[in-house]
Order: sequence, then C-alpha cells, then structure tokens
Amino acid sequence: MLDDLNQLESEGLAALDTAADAGALEAWRITYLGSKGRLKGAMSGMKDVPKEQKGAVGKRANEVKAALELAFEAKKAAIGTGGRASGPALDITEPGLVESRHVGRSHIITRVIDELTEVFGRMGFAVAEGPELEDDEHNFIKLNIPPEHPARDPIDNFYVDDPEKVTTPRMLRSQTSTVQIRTMEDAVAKGWGPPIKIVSPGRVYRPDTVDATHSFMFHQIEGLYIDRGVTMIDLKTTLFQFARAYFGPDADIRLRPSFFPFTEPSAELDMMIALKPGAEPAWIELGGCGMVDPAVLEVCGIDPEVWTGFAFGFGIERIAMGRYGIPDIRMLFENDVRFLAQL
Amino acid sequence: MDISLDWLNQYLSPADATAQEADDLLTQAGLPIESRTALPGGDVLLDVEVTSNRPDCLSHIGCAREVAALSGRELVYPEPSEPARAGPVSDLLTLENRDHAACPLFTAHVLTGCKVGPSPSWLVERLEAIGQRSINNAVDITNFITMELGNPCHVFDRNKLAGHKLVIRFAEEGEKLRTLDDKQRVLKEADLVVADAERAQSLAGVMGGGDSEVDESTTDVVFEMATWDPVTVRTQARRLAINTDAGFRFQRGVDPRTIDFAARRAIALLVELTGGQLAEGVLSEGAPLPGPQIVTMRPSRVETILGIEIPVGDMISMLRAVEVGVEQAGEDELRCEIPPHRARDLTREIDLIEEVARITGYDAIPIAESMSVKIDAPQPERRARRELVRVLTGLGFDETVTFSFTSPRHAELFVAPGLEAAAVDDARRADEPTLRPSGLLGLLGCRRANQSARSAAPGMVRLFEVTSTFAQHPAAGDETVPPESVERRNVCLLMDAPGSGETTRRSHDDLQQGLRVMRGAIDTVVRAMHGSEAEVTVEPHAGCPIPAWDANATAWVGVRGPGASKAVTIGLFGLLSDAALKAFDIDTPVVAAELGLDSLVAGYPPRSLAHALPQFPHIERDLSLVLDESVRWSTVSAMVNGLGLDRLESCGFVGTFRGKQVGPGKKSVTLRLRFRDPDRTLRHEEVDPQVESVVLQSKQALGAELRG
Repeated sequence: MLDDLNQLESEGLAALDTAADAGALEAWRITYLGSKGRLKGAMSGMKDVPKEQKGAVGKRANEVKAALELAFEAKKAAIGTGGRASGPALDITEPGLVESRHVGRSHIITRVIDELTEVFGRMGFAVAEGPELEDDEHNFIKLNIPPEHPARDPIDNFYVDDPEKVTTPRMLRSQTSTVQIRTMEDAVAKGWGPPIKIVSPGRVYRPDTVDATHSFMFHQIEGLYIDRGVTMIDLKTTLFQFARAYFGPDADIRLRPSFFPFTEPSAELDMMIALKPGAEPAWIELGGCGMVDPAVLEVCGIDPEVWTGFAFGFGIERIAMGRYGIPDIRMLFENDVRFLAQL
Repeated sequence: MDISLDWLNQYLSPADATAQEADDLLTQAGLPIESRTALPGGDVLLDVEVTSNRPDCLSHIGCAREVAALSGRELVYPEPSEPARAGPVSDLLTLENRDHAACPLFTAHVLTGCKVGPSPSWLVERLEAIGQRSINNAVDITNFITMELGNPCHVFDRNKLAGHKLVIRFAEEGEKLRTLDDKQRVLKEADLVVADAERAQSLAGVMGGGDSEVDESTTDVVFEMATWDPVTVRTQARRLAINTDAGFRFQRGVDPRTIDFAARRAIALLVELTGGQLAEGVLSEGAPLPGPQIVTMRPSRVETILGIEIPVGDMISMLRAVEVGVEQAGEDELRCEIPPHRARDLTREIDLIEEVARITGYDAIPIAESMSVKIDAPQPERRARRELVRVLTGLGFDETVTFSFTSPRHAELFVAPGLEAAAVDDARRADEPTLRPSGLLGLLGCRRANQSARSAAPGMVRLFEVTSTFAQHPAAGDETVPPESVERRNVCLLMDAPGSGETTRRSHDDLQQGLRVMRGAIDTVVRAMHGSEAEVTVEPHAGCPIPAWDANATAWVGVRGPGASKAVTIGLFGLLSDAALKAFDIDTPVVAAELGLDSLVAGYPPRSLAHALPQFPHIERDLSLVLDESVRWSTVSAMVNGLGLDRLESCGFVGTFRGKQVGPGKKSVTLRLRFRDPDRTLRHEEVDPQVESVVLQSKQALGAELRG
C-alpha cells in the first residue's frame, strides 16, 4: 500500500509537469484529485490495510494528497487561469493606444480640496504636505501636547509602535497640524522662512466608530501664517474673507474661546453659511483656530518675540457632504462608479 | 459638567442669571452649552462642555466665577462655620503617606458620634438637579463638595479601618479591593491605594472601597480630602475602566492649596448634618505646598497678539475678575499672582493674554476690509496634480478615495522585496491593521465592490487614486528604535481588460489590448507632465517577485526626459496576477500601473518648444515580419532605430497577427516606416534601400521572414 502511494505521487507529479495549458491542467486534476480520481481510489484501499499499519499508511496518504494539491496550485498559478485565456506570451512592450469610452470624474474630496486651496491660494497661501505615517514628536510633543494630555491616549490614536516600548513611536497622524511643525522646521533648516504662509490638506486618522458622519479616516485642511506683526485681526480677516469667497457674500464668521495646546488664544470657528446650496444659512461649527502658541514657535526654532502667527484647521468631509448633499460619509469611500458619476 | 442654574446663582450677586444669560456668558467664556433642560420647580440644567485645561470649571463655583467675571456680578463664596473641636485627632487615627509624588497632599479629619441618615431636602434637591441620587448625609456631602468646589473627597467608617490607620501606598501585585460599585478588583503594583493597617480600602482618587463604606450604622467618620498625581489616577482608572467624577477631576489636576478651604466647607456641613463631634486638628501629610505663582505680563504684548488696544486699567480689572492678583510692576509690566485653581492653566504670559482676550470677547476683535497679499509664483506641483487629474479623467478613469488600511493577507500581495508591511497596533482594526503597501489595494477593493453592486459592465471600470503607500525596513534589533518607514505617494491606475458585453473572459488579444491601452494612458500622463518630447521606456520585469503582478506581463516604467541620456524608473505596469484577482474575488482580468507621484510631477511644467511643421510630404512603407513569439516589439523597434537610416522619421507599430498562415510559435508584426526630407519631396526609389536594409537586418538579427 505504501509503495502504491509513493508511485501515485511520483507519477502524478511527473504528469503535472507536462500539463501545458488550462485544459490539460483540468484533465490532470480530474485524473488525480477528482472524486473518482486515483487518490480517492488509493484511499478506498485503506479498509484492507492491517490495523497495525493503518497509522503509517494514513499519514503517508495525507502527505501525498497535500503534495499533489500543492503542486497543482503552483502549476495553476504558473499557467494562469481564472477569466484569463492561456496562449502565447503577451508582449508588454507593444506601444500604447489612447482609447476611452467615457470621461471619468475627479473625486468630490479632491474637488473640494482644489476649491479650498484655490481660494487660499489667492490669499497667498502655498500648499504644503507631510507624511501620514508620523511620529508622536510631530503629532504631539512639538505641538505642545504634554504626555498626560488626553489627546495622546492610545484609545484615540492609531499607534504603529508601542508607545510604552519605543522612544519616538510612529503613529498615523491624527491631525494635519503635524505639517505646521514640519514646515516650520524645514523653513528654519533651509532658511526660506519665516514668513510662512501655507495651507495643508490631507488625510488624518482617528479610531472613531464608523457611522453616517464619522470615519476612522477623514480629511482636514490646516492653515498657518507666520510673519512679523500677525495678529488676531489677521486671523479673523483671513477666515472671514475665505468664508465670503467660498460660501458666498452673506457668509459670516464667529470665534468662541476654546482650548488647543498648540494655539493661544484658541478659538472654535463657526461660520454662518448655507452649507447645502439653497438652504437657510445657520451657524455651523467648522473647526478650530488661534494664534500659534509661542512654545510651538520656539520648539521649531522661531523667536516668538519677533514672529507671531495664526493657525486654523477644519474638516473637509463636512463641507463636501454639505455642499453635495451626501447623507452618509461612507459613500465617499465606497467609490461606486454610479455615485461618482452623480456629482 | 452638569450645572443647575439655581445652584449656580447661589454664588452670584445679584443671583438673577437666567438660563439664556448663563448660556451666552459661559459660551463666551469658552464653556459652550451642549444642552439645556428644564427641571421641575423652574430650575434649568445646563450641560457645560469643559475643555481639559479648565478643571476649575468642573464645579458650580468655577462656572459662577466665569459668569461673574463676564457679567460684572460679584462672586459669593460659601462661608463655612467653625465647629467646636474636642480631643486630638491623632488619638483616633494615624496617617502615613508613603509617596508624596503620587499623593502631593492627603488630609484627614475625624468626627465621632455621627448620626448617618437621610440628607435634608436642600441637599437632596441639589444632587437630584444634576442627576445624582441621594445616599446618606455623609456621602451626599462629599458629592456635593465635588460639584460645588471641584474638590473630590471621601468618607470612611473609622471603625471598619484596621488599626484605625490610613496608609497611602502602592498596591501589592494581586492585592484585592472591593470597590463601592461592589466589584472585586485585582490590583497591580502601579495602582495607588489608601489602605488601613491591613489592606486596601480605596483606589486613590478614583473610587472608595465597599468594606469601609459609611452607612447608617456608622458613628465615627474619617473625612478624606486629598490630591493625586493626574497620570497615576489616569493609569489606574483606565486600566480598571472606572469612570468617576473624582477620577475625572483628579486626572485634570486639583491644586493642593485649594484643599484647606474645601475641607473646612465639608467638615462644617458634616458637623451640621450628622451632629458629630469634630476632633481637634487635622492629619495632613504630603509635599510642601507650592509658593505663590507669579507670571509677568507686558500690556504691550497683548496688542501684539490681539491687534487691538486695551487700556491697562481694563486689563487689570479683567484679570482680577478671574481672581488673578495683579500689580503694576513697571511701565510695561504687570505682576500677576495666579490663583491656585488656575495653577496648571495660567503659567505663561500668553496664558494671561488669552484671559484678557477671552474676557474682552473675541467679537471685539475687528475684521479688516482687505488684506495685503504677497504674490508668489504658482506651485508647479499643485498645477501638475490638477493637470494629472484632468488627463486621467479624460482618459476615462474615475478618481477614488479609499482607506489606507488593508489586511495582512492582501498586503503580502504587494510588499516589495527587502521591505515589510507596517501595521497599526490596534484591536479596533483587527481585520485590516496593515497600512497598504500599494494604492492598488484600494482600487482592487473598489473594483470588487463595483462588481458586487453590478454598477458597470465588465470591461468598463477604470479607476485611479493618488495616494500614500506605506512600508518599513526590517527592524534593526533595538526594540526602542522604530523601524524606518517608507512612505511614497503614488499615482495608481486600474483598468478592466477590454472585452465585449457582459462576459468576463478575456482572450489573449483582449489582454494585449488592455496592456496597450494602459500604456497609452501612461504615455499621455507622462507627456502631460514631462512634455511631448519625453519618452516612456518599458523594461520587462521578468519574474517580478511581487505576487500581485503577473510575472510574465509586468514591466518597469521609465521616463527619459528631453535631452537625458538615461531613463529614470518611475514605477511598474502590467497585468495583475491571478493570485491578486482571486484574493479580491474579481472576475475580470485587470491591468494596472503604479507610478511615483514625485517623479511624475518633477517634470512639470514641461519646457516643450514649438517647432515649425514639416513642409513636404512623407513616404510610408509597411513591412510585415514573421517573428518568433519571443521577439518583443521593443527589440524590433530598437533594431530599426539602431540602423541610423537616412531620412527615417519614425518606425511605427501597426499590429500583430497570428494564425495558420504564420505558423505555430510565430507571430507577424507589421511596422510602418515613415521617411521625410525637410527640404524637398522624397521620391520612392530614395527610400527603397533603407527599407531593404530593414528587411535584411530583420532576417540576420531577428530571424524574421517577410510576409506577403
């Protein structure tokens, strides 16, 4: 019986080698692994094996079965099946052909980011970007967020490294404010600023429970302006001009005192706007802002006695969903082409 | 923080703040009201949102202080009576505080002969207004003080304390404590407890213990008022998942200097309501109390930050209204003494400037009519990104935005040799913890979702995404140093191999066509970025080790800019493998490309120059060469271009034909040679020798036969 199994294995593997296309492969599968195939046949002989040999024979039978199945899968992958025909080699060097059957659409998030950066661009803000896989130094420490601050709790962040074990643990950025730090550091290191005047749109990550208005990944846009003599009047003026330019001539803004470790004074930013075109304007909590905390400037090598600045940030999905009447944030990330084509 | 309007008014003079006024003032103070609920008897419950820097406002007195400062009312503190004391407290209790860092101050008073029972109706009403249940007079007083002054406190039944002793110490590993919620807790060495001579009797700053609970049988009460290290409290509250009013406040910081007054207030109420006899003195152990905290503020700096001029006298009044002691110390210098309840919040000049701004009101800061703007050149990268999206949508690709996470199994399909996937360490992403090593993973997921939704016929889906991809180098060995991350921004394209109707099967020609259309998209994108003279190079990546790519139909994509001698590799393109399709359960073969964004946009804006168009006609000759299947178009094209033929303008590809006439293992490739002279019209016989040399060289170098 053991000899039979060994022969079955060597014959099967040899036969498989000669299978050149999907048809031959399928024929081999039926012969060896099919429900009436040779392996099944050999297994049925088990009942005649003497009791004391049953263990060894059974073990060997399983080994042979595994070997044939593994070789089959490997061969199948090599030949290529699925919806794809086997045939002569494809020539990947054949020249290109420009052909299109419809015109695609840019994603709403991209369009809103473009609209926002265009308005801020006219106000003199350049676009800066930074990594999404960050570290706690840029996401927290240099933003003046101390170790005991609740925002640093692993429960509210996606850490890649264990903060208990690693000195500068990596994490997915929870806010685009990280780009403030990276831009200031870059400006100081390379000597191009301050003045610094940037907006930074991008993805951020927080372990929120997903529902119609929350997602564990979403987009923010952050603004930073540092120069001599920048005051809170400039902050309010910038946000007001933005609101009117983007949401229409009746838009208004309101700042309410709040707390963010990286700005002081800090404020919540409300805008009196009709997010959805045609709706009644209402005060909408849009984001946060404030004057850049001197501790943040100092840690980036900028003298707060010489330079002052402001920063602001708000969510992009909120605006996109309002403007385009999108009822559920998840629709933005499902990318059903029929949804994409609507907007 | 739940605030009862009636209770709040108790600390205001005149005590007439309405719900609307309190709402407006607290909002202006930076304490927005999340909800307002009418209570029986005309009281109103305000749910006040308190930011983490303002633990002083986690109390009625704290919110009243803000209302008083912003409305010009007077803040009225309660005035505790001074009960008679008898017999030294040290005869009744001993105290040992073993860790002054974890417990900066612990105080204990003892009352004997107390009658523990129902609370008077005023106390019951106060607690019920904010949704708390009355327990008994002694316990109710501790809850009342927490909500009145923001100083959490606790009572023990003295006769249930072994050795009549309290010890503040860290727990022993495995030590047990039954907390007041009747749960048995198993403690760790990092947990701080208040113990008696034998065992833990409360979890410090978080929750008391059930075994020393004060109930109606209690006669002797030990009253604890203390402060704890916020991190220690947070760690143990989190580990044991206990959320209490006390823990919430201690995690945000309770200053030890506030304890004396709060304890006197509580003791007076305990004596009044339980009739107990207060022992002489207080047991108190901890670090020395902090001295006066002085912060200097320059009035000129207020204008520098806010942009508005505020008279110094007004600044002084505003700061005094929030109990900052202010003296004019110089021409541009205010010497400010910070009240203990703001000790952690007001430590720097900017903190005081914010106080001035807050009390002035942000509405007082004007909006300018216009703003000055310095004009910089447009950023090439931004323009390039917009152009890229325009070109790709024009080519029929829909843009997606997909999540950056994937499963380890899917990530393995795309991890490049020498790198490994990075993943978040988070149970909430148990199925998909991995940061995707390729943007194509998101597109494959989308392709699959569109297949399930039957949103487009097979062959019609084209998707792209510009996104970050993640990987890391293998760890260096030192566990404290994180592995080096590799984050790249890629332009990812995914396209169904074309076919007809609803069928998902694809012939060899369909797949070849798919590769050509994708290549056409790549060419178009590259030329849009790098200019019409840039050349796309395709180098077959035979045996590509990345499992998602078909090892026989994948190539490196390169760009040779105008005038550059070498091509720069910018990514991969080709057919995705069956393994990739199978992993996503996609039924239609797809072609894909993943190109580095930075290399693409680096060429933008292209510096193409216009050339005069040719004045004289060209001559074209088609040649069909029968070749071995293994001879690639790139070889044919390189051979022709390498001949340096006179007046050859281009060598174009017309098509590949297979069939009986050609024979097995062979293909017929038709190429189109175009000749032109810039200065005159060519005659046919002038190009015959060049065509002949192509035929000859094809035979010799490629073993080709001329067909037809």
